[in-house]
Amino acid sequence: MRALFSSLRDGKGFDISLIAIAMVFLILFSGAPLVYNAIMSFQEVDIFNLGTFIRPWVGLDNYRSLFADPSTLPIFWNTVVFVFSSIAGQFIVGFGLALFFTLKFPGAAYLRGLFLVSWVMPGLVVGAIWNWILSGDFGILNHFLKSVGFISENIFWRSDINYSLWAVIIANIWLGTAFNMILLSVGLAAIPRDVYEAAELDGATAIQRFRTITLPMMRATIGAVVSLGLIFTLQQFDLFAAITSGGPANSSNVAQYKAWEMSFREYDFARGATISVLMIVVVMIASVIYVRSTKQEVRG
Amino acid sequence: MGNKLKLMLGGLLLSTAIMASPTLAEDVTITVWSLDDENQPAYNYAKEFSEMDNGIQIEYREIQFDDVVSESMRAFATGKSPDIIAVDNPEHALFAGRGAFLDITDKIAASSVIHADNYFAGPLNSVSWEGKLFGVPKATNTIALYYNKDLYKKAGIDAAPETWAELVDTARKLNDPANNVYGLAFSAKASEEGTFQFLPWAQMAGGGYDNINVEGAVKALDIWKTILDEKLASPDTLTRGQWDSTGTFNAGNAAMVISGPWELNRMLEEAKFDWGVALLPVPEVGSARSSAMGDFNWAIFSNSKHPDEAFKALEYFASQDDRLFPEFGQLPARSDIALPPTGIALKDAALKVFQEQLKYAQARGPHPEWPKISKAIQDAIQTALTGGATSKEALDQAAAKIETILK
Repeated sequence: MRALFSSLRDGKGFDISLIAIAMVFLILFSGAPLVYNAIMSFQEVDIFNLGTFIRPWVGLDNYRSLFADPSTLPIFWNTVVFVFSSIAGQFIVGFGLALFFTLKFPGAAYLRGLFLVSWVMPGLVVGAIWNWILSGDFGILNHFLKSVGFISENIFWRSDINYSLWAVIIANIWLGTAFNMILLSVGLAAIPRDVYEAAELDGATAIQRFRTITLPMMRATIGAVVSLGLIFTLQQFDLFAAITSGGPANSSNVAQYKAWEMSFREYDFARGATISVLMIVVVMIASVIYVRSTKQEVRG
Repeated sequence: MGNKLKLMLGGLLLSTAIMASPTLAEDVTITVWSLDDENQPAYNYAKEFSEMDNGIQIEYREIQFDDVVSESMRAFATGKSPDIIAVDNPEHALFAGRGAFLDITDKIAASSVIHADNYFAGPLNSVSWEGKLFGVPKATNTIALYYNKDLYKKAGIDAAPETWAELVDTARKLNDPANNVYGLAFSAKASEEGTFQFLPWAQMAGGGYDNINVEGAVKALDIWKTILDEKLASPDTLTRGQWDSTGTFNAGNAAMVISGPWELNRMLEEAKFDWGVALLPVPEVGSARSSAMGDFNWAIFSNSKHPDEAFKALEYFASQDDRLFPEFGQLPARSDIALPPTGIALKDAALKVFQEQLKYAQARGPHPEWPKISKAIQDAIQTALTGGATSKEALDQAAAKIETILK
């Protein structure tokens, strides 16, 4: 008994109990819902048997009917476009801003802090504001583009099937850029200055320094930013609800919004779960890549 | 932990006991869920009913519009549903068809307060399922055509359009892009609102949700497409709801709008011009009229422990229907209640038209799978209007989808 206690206080038992606490938490709040969700995707679930666990088992029927639906593939393609464009946009603008703010000009720190305002705002508020900006008839974006002569006719960002997805992407880039910038700034600050000084003395140009010092030293940060970006964009729901509702004609619909529509608009919870399962698979693949890419990282 | 829980429960019981102290021991408590707040009817009726000396207390819970179905379904599935609920009319059959609502046909037949004959056909149909009555209409609304009389005068038009062709023609005449004025505003949004606005057109032309691809419905969708293609209505019609569309009319940026009586108060306040309301245009002169029907219904859950007391509460609610309009600005779903004039000329004239239009209002469905049927119709509207398919192809697809649902 005493051996057990001492092991619990200081020894293997202590390690195990620490891990156990984390594991129980994970299993209870992440594992169980995931499994529950996966089981639901093999059942027929409507709003009346939602409260029970025993429901008709339909095997792969939900998956079959999902892929038989002609709107499914375009929606998945939209999701890919949305995720890649959003991450690329957020990353490039965020990285640019982060580099910009490494220049020590007066007020740099305050300005950088101000950029976080966009990250603090709730998605629905951001969506409502972009809704006005992107409005076809009276939107300020159209007004701006017209007055600088880029366009002669109003673009109906929310209602033109060629633009609707991009309307949400633009808003999402704006929303996520600040977060990217802050994380990348932290990464940049961690690179020792003397490495740059040495390279400068050796005659390396700014571009060479960026390619051979900044980028390699930032690998782990970039990996984290991109992975988190993937998770945040796949979670992005509010902007769709606020700006286009996935329309018109599903042209701006993405997997996560479709899953919600299935569950809470058509009350077909099983098919909503089916889409979620497919999304979980994608996120899992991404997180495996992320974990592996940061495993061999060497901190300077 | 166990002790703590007991303590908490004890405290809870005590506090309920204190709160419920004016209640007599033999009083029955029933629960009512509705989306009405303290300025709307249900909240007040429930309070008045509780204050009456009838041995029945009502516990009222206000519930958000978006949560009505999911909350009450969950409550029903776990046996904790309220006794009475107010539910949006196209979703009534979702519950009734699955046995979640109590069949009150016999209770209504025996009632001296609620008479089925007094209700408009549309609302009454929405509480029916397989020939039985599963509720009582709470209020009703419909859509008609609002038009800007000042713009009409300017364009030299003296009467509102009566047919679809006239509507398009009038919209063309009123359309004035240079001054940011569209001929017409309506909603073709991919939500229940889109279905709500389109179905009347299909019904006037001999279609309906169960034969959505009839020639007349195809023609209706073609006309919608013409209106959008010629930019007689804002392209944002595809993503904008009725409330926002009507906002553009109030601001003078649309000469006509298709919307309902819920806009009247806002329009009186916002619109700085003379306006009127006309019945929805019909396909040809002399065609049958039709319109949409909105608003909520009362129903009693089938697992209610106090169905008789709950019905008494419904009787009280129904007996107050004559207050709906003067006090709360809502239209009663009954033909036997005369709406008193408000003294505001624009409003009184509009009400007359809406009451006339209500006679032709048709329920959506009723069908337990309504959300799916509605989705198929929305998809067809949006596909056709964005050029993804012709109106015929899109509606054929919808009809095929609906057929598998109806089977």
